Amino acid sequence: MLQKLKLNLAFNRVEGDLEMRIEVDNGLAMNAWCSGTMYRGFEKILVGRHALDGIVFTSRICGICTTAHQTASVRALDMIAKADVPANAQRVRNIVLAAEHLQSDMRHTFLMFMADFANPEYKNNKLFNEVMARHEPFKGRTYLETIVETKKMPELIAILGGQWPHSSFMVPGGITSVPSQNDVMQCILLLKQYRHWYEKRVLGCTIERWSEVKSLKALDAWLDEKEAHRESELGLFIRLARSADLEKMGHGHDNFISFGSLELPKGSKTDAKFLIPAGFAQGAKISEFNHENVSEHVAYSWFKDYKDGKHPFEGETNPYATGNESQKYSWAKAPRYNDLPAETGTLAEMVVSGNPLFAELVKKSGSNVFSRVLSRLVRSTVIIPAMEKWLAEIDGGSFYAPPGEIVQGKGFGLTQASRGALGHWVTIENRTIERYQIITATAWNASPRDSKGVRGPIEEAVIGTDVMSTTKLEHIIRSFDPCIVCSVHLLKNNRSLLKKNIGL
Amino acid sequence: MPKNLYWFNCGSCGGDSVSMFNMESPDIAAFFKEMDISLLWHPSLSSMAYLDYQNQIEAILSDDLKLDILCVEGSVIRGPGGSGMYHSTDYKPRKDLVGLLAEKADYVVAVGTCASYGGICTDGEVEATGLQFHKFEKGGFLGKDFVSQKGLPVINLPGCPCHNEIVSGAISHLASNKTLELDEFNAPLEWFGMLVHQGCVRNEYHEYRVEDSNFGNKGCLFFHLGCLAPLTNGSCNKILWNRRSSKTRAGVPCVGCTQPDFPKPYPFFKTRNIADVPLDLPIGVDRAHYMAYKSMAAAAAPKRLKDRKTKI
Repeated sequence: MLQKLKLNLAFNRVEGDLEMRIEVDNGLAMNAWCSGTMYRGFEKILVGRHALDGIVFTSRICGICTTAHQTASVRALDMIAKADVPANAQRVRNIVLAAEHLQSDMRHTFLMFMADFANPEYKNNKLFNEVMARHEPFKGRTYLETIVETKKMPELIAILGGQWPHSSFMVPGGITSVPSQNDVMQCILLLKQYRHWYEKRVLGCTIERWSEVKSLKALDAWLDEKEAHRESELGLFIRLARSADLEKMGHGHDNFISFGSLELPKGSKTDAKFLIPAGFAQGAKISEFNHENVSEHVAYSWFKDYKDGKHPFEGETNPYATGNESQKYSWAKAPRYNDLPAETGTLAEMVVSGNPLFAELVKKSGSNVFSRVLSRLVRSTVIIPAMEKWLAEIDGGSFYAPPGEIVQGKGFGLTQASRGALGHWVTIENRTIERYQIITATAWNASPRDSKGVRGPIEEAVIGTDVMSTTKLEHIIRSFDPCIVCSVHLLKNNRSLLKKNIGL
Repeated sequence: MPKNLYWFNCGSCGGDSVSMFNMESPDIAAFFKEMDISLLWHPSLSSMAYLDYQNQIEAILSDDLKLDILCVEGSVIRGPGGSGMYHSTDYKPRKDLVGLLAEKADYVVAVGTCASYGGICTDGEVEATGLQFHKFEKGGFLGKDFVSQKGLPVINLPGCPCHNEIVSGAISHLASNKTLELDEFNAPLEWFGMLVHQGCVRNEYHEYRVEDSNFGNKGCLFFHLGCLAPLTNGSCNKILWNRRSSKTRAGVPCVGCTQPDFPKPYPFFKTRNIADVPLDLPIGVDRAHYMAYKSMAAAAAPKRLKDRKTKI
């Protein structure tokens, strides 16, 4: 008779409140339920408020993705107002969102993710001493450098938009600020310094050199080419991933979604609409994205039931706090694309943009801890050159074109937050908000089951994992860079898992 | 002897922590070291085995581990129906632990407007409230009679988010057992005994009533675009954000995020007015004299300001 256990676990160093229940059999996770445990009711607070108020309110959904929410809310209003956003305003909006990505990717990797390797469990790993020297919380060299260097990005954002987090400088029709040539120059100087650190400490090579790595074979060659490559944070991560088998850990459904972001300014000489394309992919097979195929299910969520999924324009948010009962278990609704679960984030961006290295990696081993974190380490190689270009392009043109009063209409604002697809669907009636529905990136990743009982990405990714200690679970969950602000902690004894029957 | 600091998150977006991570001089890691503060727990930074985390809370609650400073971020969520189950931890209401920890602390600090006064979700359905204030009304979650082990009420550091210099300044005072002079809403006068208006680079425009009606220009934002800086207690334009700027300097009308009643029940970015004069005047002015002064100021306005040619 197999001994079945249920573990209740909770995780910190995920921006948020994330708990998981795991059914354990023979030391392996056989089933999993991922819970978002906090409800604040933003969607309903906005109903009845003035059209522009969403710009101020929605930033407060998340302190780390504050600019992403601002971007999504203003894009929805631009659509309703049929605003003609000047090229300079689009450049500045892009630069600021991009800057948020840069600091987020580094802070997540080096303050939250790598800390799990600075763990006595790895003391027999040949890289352990090096990992401790670089990543021990509050002591490691790279840990401390990350704190200092990433501050340059909020500083850059403040030059253009006033403050970070929670500025509200994006408005329908453009931006409120009028950056001077010197403001732009100060941003260029900050970005130059940041790039030097990123290339030296994180990549161990120039961005140009990394961009030549387009296959797994080229990745191996890159690693072998120079000590600077092997000893960079990227090099160390690749070697650590190999020795700890991260490629075999945390396999998801291999569906990927990106809403597209960083809209190219008017007059850009290209057919592409976005720097980061929108798309849906199954494995490396990419298909075109249409927001109408997005829906949210509530069958397993703490909301009043409705059948199947609803598109956000028809979305309802009626909380139903049933606590610990058999079916409903999360404050997250279950977003689905064509009724399929999908993971979102830096890996999805790489896959959907057709990056050949990641296409090969996903074809080989799908989504896993290695591919997710690798993509997060190198996303900056796409972002930094784009920021440099937009900064250089800012000219004497205007930053704002008044769109007229927003009286009535339906619009949506789609973008990529640092951790993935973000959408706001807004209906304005008589100058006030009649409906406001939001789907965050982490709703996709930490999604509960849908009406068909199909697990969400993080739930799927932990299946089959050895849970004798929680370390592998921690790698898997944090590889998604979840953003559900808060703290939590393990709730039950993680020692002698097979000897104690924990129950729920 | 290090001071023990525990950082606890309630109904929060994490913005106050994110703001704190941008701490300038010293940076956040150096700050705790320089002030000899032992950070018992922070949700985004701590790396601790479960058992140790659980034991640590037990030790605090059983008086085996001294809790010098408790910092709380986020509003206390009491809904639905007072049960607190809109925000749970292992199916138990999160709010329960806040009260237990607060009783043990020498000092209790509410970081950010949500923890101080209820903040962004206060008018919603989740029954959010501040630690010891519900908007202007003393009480909140802990009740008006609550005092910490050192005999002080909850010290409020409002702001959405709170500026990291205020966090480092206030914690430094407490860790050194220095007194913080508090205003009527228990926010330190050092940072909240002045107006956000003071130090705004658009002050000269304000002086001469050169007022913008649209975003994207250099003039004052008070008369038409809903700027609340002359009515808001805060030091954004003195200590500046991220070493560089502030909302109003970037043309964003102040939204009054440090005030007990943030967010206001009326629209942002739109000044409510009577006969073209703002309904809400700078704190303490007399309306009749104010209207006269503003008329004369507008008449005296130099052309260089009306042309908005300055490089502010």
